[in-house]
Amino acid sequence: MDLSELVRPDRIHRRIYADPAIFELEMERIFGRSWIFLAHDSQIPNTGDFYRTRLGREDVLVVRDGAHVRALINRCAHRGAVVCAGDRGNLPGFVCPYHGWSFRLDGKLNAVPHRQSYPESFSLDDPRLSLGRVPRVESYRGFIFGNLAPDGISLIEHLGPMTAAIDNLVDRAPDGEIEQAGGIARLEYRGNWKFHNENAIDTLHPGFVHESSVASAKADRRDYADPTYDAHQAHTQLLANAFGPREWDAIGLVGAPAGHAYMGGFYKSGILAPTRNDPVWLDYRARLAKRLGPEKADAVLAVDRFNNIIFPSLSINAQYQQVRIVQPLAVDRTQLVSFCFRLKGAPEKLFQQAVRFLTNLCSPYSMIFGDDLEIFTRCQSGLANPTPEWLDVSRGLGREQRRADGALESASLSELPQRAQMAAWLRCMSA
Amino acid sequence: MDAAAFLVHEARLLDAGRYDEWLDLFADDGFYWIPSRPDQTDPWNHFSIVHEDPSVLRLRVRRLHHARVHAADPPPRTAHMVGNVTVTDGAGDAECEARSTLMVAEYRAGERRLLAGQCLHRLRRSGEGFRIVLKRIDLIDADASHAIMSAIL
Repeated sequence: MDLSELVRPDRIHRRIYADPAIFELEMERIFGRSWIFLAHDSQIPNTGDFYRTRLGREDVLVVRDGAHVRALINRCAHRGAVVCAGDRGNLPGFVCPYHGWSFRLDGKLNAVPHRQSYPESFSLDDPRLSLGRVPRVESYRGFIFGNLAPDGISLIEHLGPMTAAIDNLVDRAPDGEIEQAGGIARLEYRGNWKFHNENAIDTLHPGFVHESSVASAKADRRDYADPTYDAHQAHTQLLANAFGPREWDAIGLVGAPAGHAYMGGFYKSGILAPTRNDPVWLDYRARLAKRLGPEKADAVLAVDRFNNIIFPSLSINAQYQQVRIVQPLAVDRTQLVSFCFRLKGAPEKLFQQAVRFLTNLCSPYSMIFGDDLEIFTRCQSGLANPTPEWLDVSRGLGREQRRADGALESASLSELPQRAQMAAWLRCMSA
Repeated sequence: MDAAAFLVHEARLLDAGRYDEWLDLFADDGFYWIPSRPDQTDPWNHFSIVHEDPSVLRLRVRRLHHARVHAADPPPRTAHMVGNVTVTDGAGDAECEARSTLMVAEYRAGERRLLAGQCLHRLRRSGEGFRIVLKRIDLIDADASHAIMSAIL
C-alpha cells in the first residue's frame, strides 16, 4: 500500500479514517514506535504502586520498583490471562489468578506452583516466561512515556519544543511539584482517534459546533463579582467559544514537524482569563512569586497556550492543569482519558477550579465536548461512504510562516495544524 | 402530593421533555449531582459526571431548546422508571429524603441504552408539593467509560 498517495498538500483520502487495515498499520508504525504518554509520577509514588493504562493495543501496567519505573504488559506468560484486574493500587508483585504464576515488580517470573512437574529446561530466568516489558520508558519532569520500539530517538528529542508545555504546567506549582488528583474521566466515541487531535486545534469549528452552548450562555447575564463557583466558571467556559472570526484570527496556531501543535488561549474573560485578579488568584500569584520571584512568576502565568498536542496522543492545558490522552480502540472507536493536577502549594480553590474545568469539559454530560463527540461520530458515519474519496484541508494553505525552529505558524483560521499532523502521520507510516 | 408521587411527577416531566417545568422543581440552593465514583462524598475536589446548581441547569435546559444542539439532534427519547421508593425524615421539619431505584431507557439516533442506579432526593416541602434540594444519582457504572449523555436522568 503506497500511503503517500493518500496524503496531498491540500487533500487527504477518506481511507485514513475509515480503513481498518490502515488502523492496524497505525498501531504498528505510530503507536508501536512513538513515545506514548503513560502516567504521571504522582500516580505511582511508592514502590509497588501500579497504574493501568493503554499503549496502542497493549494493556499496560506502569509500575514503580524502587528507583525504576517500568511498563509491563498485563498478560500472564503462561496461558495469557490478564494478571491484574485493578486500575491502580499497590502490590508486592503480580499473581496470575489462573494457575498462580507469580511475577516480581520488574515482571520477572518469581515462582510457579508444582515446580517439580516441569522439565529440567524450564527456568524462572527464561525471559520468555516474564511479563512482557515495554522496552523503553523515559520521563520528562514527572511525565512518564513508553516506547514499544527498542531503538529510536529519545523522549526529549521527540518532545522538542513541547517540553515548554510540560515545563509551564510544573512551573506553575508554588512548591515546584504537581500531583494528579480529583479522579479520572473516561469517555468513548464512535469515531477515529485522529478526529480528536485535529478538532482540538481547529478554530473555525466552535462557531458552528458550539453554537448552542454559546447561545445559552449569552442569554444569561452574569455578575462576575458574585463569588459563587458556577456563576463564573460554567458560564465562562461556555462563553469562551463565542469569538467571532476576527477574534479567532488574532489567536496564533503553531504546527511542528514532529506533528505537535498548539494554539493561543481564548479564555479572555472571567476567572479563567490570564488577566484575572480575583482574591484566589492574587493569593496564588503571591505564593508562586515567593518561590520564583515576581518577574519569573508573572512570566510563567503569562504563558497562554491552549491544547498543546504532543503527537500522537497527549494534550496539555497547563494554565488549567488539564491533561487528555487519546487511546485508539478501533478504526471507528476511541477512548479519551482526562484528568487534572493539583499545583502543590496553591490555594485549594484553584484545585477546585481545575476539577470544575474537568467536569465541565470532559464529562459525558459536557455541554461543550458532547457536541464535538457527536460531530466525530457523524464524520465517521459520513466517511463510511465510499465516495467522494477526498477531504479538503486547504484552509490557510500558503499563508503560514516558518519559524527559526522549523515549526509553521499562522493566523488561526487555518488548517495548518491538521496539515502538520498529517505530514507527521505520513512520515511515521512510511518509515 | 406525597414524596413518592413527586418522584413520578418529576420522571414524567423528563420523559415528556418538559425541562423548564422540571427546572422549576429545584430549590434555588439545590443541586443535581451524578458522581463519577460509587463512593464519592465530595463534589468539589473530585470530578463528577455532573454537579450543577439551578443557574447552570438553566444553561443546560436552554441549550436543549436550541435548534443546533448536535448532541441532542435528534432529541433523545427516554422512559424513566422509578421504583423501590422509601421516604424518611430529613434534616429539618420541612425536609425529607426519598430513596429510589432509577432505570432510564434511552433511544437516540439508532442507539439504545439503559442507565440505572440508586437515587437520593433531598426534598423540602413547599406548599402542596416539594422543592429538590439535592438529586443524587449513583449510576451502577459511574466509574466506567461512557458515551456522551444528553438526556437528563
